Parts: sequence; C-alpha cells; structure tokens
Amino acid sequence: MANQKAFYFDSSACTGCKVCQVACQDKNDLPAGLLWRRVFTYGGGSWIKQGETMAPNNLFAYSVSTACQHCENPVCANVCPTAAISKRADGIVVIDAEKCIGCRYCQWACPYGAPQLNEEAKVMTKCDFCYDLQDQGLNPACVDACVMRCLDFGDLEELRQRYGNLDAIEPLPTGDITKPALVITPHKHAQMSGQGTGRILNLPEEV
Amino acid sequence: MNVQEWALIAFTILVQMSVGAMWVLRVAHYFAARKYGVEEADRLSDRALLALVPVIALAFVASLFHLGNPFNAYRAVTNLGSSWLSREILFGVIFAVLVTVFAFMQWRKIGSFGLRNVIAWLAALVGLVLVFSMSNVYLLQSQPAWNSWATPVSFFATTFLLGALAMGAAFVANYDYVRRKEPDCADVQCTLMREALRWVAVAAVLLVGVELVVLPIYLATLASGSAAGLASVQLMAGSFGWVLALRVILAFVGAGVFAMFLYQNAMSVGREKVLGSIAYPAFVIVLVAEVLARVLFYTAHVRIGI
Repeated sequence: MANQKAFYFDSSACTGCKVCQVACQDKNDLPAGLLWRRVFTYGGGSWIKQGETMAPNNLFAYSVSTACQHCENPVCANVCPTAAISKRADGIVVIDAEKCIGCRYCQWACPYGAPQLNEEAKVMTKCDFCYDLQDQGLNPACVDACVMRCLDFGDLEELRQRYGNLDAIEPLPTGDITKPALVITPHKHAQMSGQGTGRILNLPEEV
Repeated sequence: MNVQEWALIAFTILVQMSVGAMWVLRVAHYFAARKYGVEEADRLSDRALLALVPVIALAFVASLFHLGNPFNAYRAVTNLGSSWLSREILFGVIFAVLVTVFAFMQWRKIGSFGLRNVIAWLAALVGLVLVFSMSNVYLLQSQPAWNSWATPVSFFATTFLLGALAMGAAFVANYDYVRRKEPDCADVQCTLMREALRWVAVAAVLLVGVELVVLPIYLATLASGSAAGLASVQLMAGSFGWVLALRVILAFVGAGVFAMFLYQNAMSVGREKVLGSIAYPAFVIVLVAEVLARVLFYTAHVRIGI
C-alpha cells in the first residue's frame, strides 16, 4: 500500500466555529474570498403546529469542515492540460503555479470545490496540506487550530483502522468519483451523501 | 456570465463551424469536380476556404481570453496522457495548421492536385477528432449536465449545421462575385451553387431535426438522474427558460423554415437574387440559436458536491 496522507474529521464534535478556516487563511496568507478550507452547516427538518405552539419535526443541523481531500483518484490532476497538478510521494496533491494557465478546468472536475482561482495571481490554488509544515514534522495549521480537536491527519490506512471507512456525509459528494483521502466520524444526525433531505444553511458568501 | 465563458462560447462555436465548413467544402468539391472538372470545383470552394483561415485564427485568439495566464498557453499540450483538454488543443492546432497550409497551397496552386487533396482530407479527418476531443473535455463525472451522450451528439450536430449554413451563405456570396468578375463561368457556377444549396438545405433540416429530438430526451434523462442534474434542468427551464425557448424557435425558423425556402428557390434558374436574402439570414439566425444553446451549456450546469 502506497503512502497516502489523509485528513480525519470528527463531525460529532465540530461546533462549526470556523477557526480552522481562519487559521488556514492566515497561514497561507489568502486574499478575502479565497477559502482553501471551508466549514459547511447542513440541516433540515421542519416545524409543525401543535395547538398554539410550533413543535420541531426532525430538525437537525451539523457542521462539516472540508478542504482538498488529496484524493487517491485526483480528477483535478487527471484533467489538467498542463500537468500543473501532481501527487507527491506522500499522496499530497499540489499545484505548480509556474505551470498553471488558470483555465479553471480542475474547478469543473473537482466535486469538493477545492481548486479555486486566485484572482490576483490568475492561477489556481488549493489546500496543500501545509506540506511545508509537515516536512518539518509540524501539524497543518487547521489541525492545530481546532478548539474541539475534531481535525486530525495521518496515514490514510492508519486513520481507517482507528476510525472506520466513512469518507462522505452530506453535503460532501459520494466518495466514488475521486476516492478522497478522508476519514469521517459522523455526527449523530449526519445524512449519507446522495440521500440527504436537508440543505446547506450557510450564506453563499460564507463558503 | 463572465468574459471567460464568452471566450469558450466563441472558441467552441467557431472551431465547430470551421470543421463543419471544411467537410461541406470537401464534399462539395468532390462532387463538383466529378461533374464539371477540378477547375470549376476550385472556383466554387477556394474563396470560402480562404475565409476559413481567419475564422479559425479568431477562435484561437478568443480561447486565450479564457485563461488566467495566457502567456503559459503553450503548456496546454503537456498532459496528453490523461487530459482531453490537452488533446483538444493539440488536435485544434493540427487542424488549424493543415487548413491554413491547404488554403494557401490551393490559393497559389502549389503542389500537385493529389498532394493538396491528401492534405485537405487529412484536415477534415483531424477536424472530426478535434470535435470528438472537444466533447470528451466535458464528460466529467462531477457535471451531470455535461456527462451525457447528448454532449458529443449536439457538438457534432452544431458542427455540421453551422458548417452547412455558413457555406450556404458563402456559396451565394461566391456566385455573386463570379457573376461580376468572371461572367464566362457564371452558368456552370450557377448550377453548382444551386445544387450545393439544395444539399445544404437538406442537411440543415435533418440536423435541426436531430437537435430538436435530442433536446427533450436529454432534459428528461437529466432531470431523472442526480440532484445536481435536476438542479441543472430547473435552471434551464426556469431562470434561463427564455434562452431555451428562443434557442428552439430560432433553430426551427433558421434551419427549418428558411432552409425549406432555400431548397425551393434553388430548384429553378432565375431566382439567384432571392437566394442571398434567404441563405444569409438563415445562417445568422442559426448562428444566434447555436450561441444561445452554448450560453445555456456553460451557465446552467450544476456540479455534484460543494
């Protein structure tokens, strides 16, 4: 089994505070509007009238923190016309800004919305798993920032042995398209991808 | 809708029209040469062929506006092993070079007829591979609105429909020129033009038929697939519904009604003056219809996931 770095995310503990997102922006010095890590709140259910009161009817909401999944089948790298996107020996998927022509084809292909255009540099950018920190033996910025300790990283196989094989809950896409290097502990109300009855509750500009 | 998407609309439409035009010119030249000799066939198609070169050049210039960093554009052919976009650009460049070389040789009558013929057919075949590659670019699993058999079918329909009607207009313009500059050849050229226009009209009716049959099947299949597919259909039929309606009406008018008039008026001698007032608007109307279809294609696709 080849080496594959992966993110672990514990949805049952996530409060949706977005500190991971902010830490990522800070560490990577991202301009406003560019979010390599995003936190979605997904929810659903309804209210029904019981006499004079409104009662909750299967109301639920939970948060999902997501970035590039450094997929085992990186469709972004497969479709990139300039081969600017590649997979390192440790499985981390990186974009070479020197080669990128900013055609945004990877953005069309990736179901996680990971590659995003840097409007200033006019090239595609995305989460690089803080490989510069990892190469020094340090943790990715988002992992260190999480106050609930619900983000972690490590070897994909080891994470699966510890936490199971779940790699998708709503609103993430099912894992079959790209084989994401992602291990999830679901929230107790989490819905399986493709079978969700809720919707993303964030404002569009939030994510 | 932003500039980058207009760039793609212009690029794909102009390239497809050029490939279709190349085929129409090849077929027209082949049959014209069999009946009236190579010289008359050249007179029918040479000027239209020359006009293709700036159209293809324009397509490639337009494509650069899609890029964030156009100065790196030459790198776009470096992932041929796995990227259909790389393959599209490669075959696009080969097509452009072959058409330009052939048009120049044909214009100056450089090289033997056989050599020019080989280059021309090669260009036409590469054109088909180009449209095939172009279709494959959009067959992405994350994009249900594109990931459909309807993408290659409608790309090829656009290719031959626009190619046919563009060349229909070109044949009329060419005849107008021949009549004024080389009146000795006008009789044979008149017959050739009328015959070519009749086939253009038949092709247009058949191809718009294909488009109008494909469209509802495609929409129904897409709506019954994934949630993202349904969301795409809701966009196409909802906020972009007027674009879809206008696209269908214009295609029907341009490639249906006008093409029938074109066929009728190309039957008998003496209606040459009328042909222009049918062939030109038919081309323009269908061009607008195809641009609208492409606008929908690039705006009403909803990606799976987040």
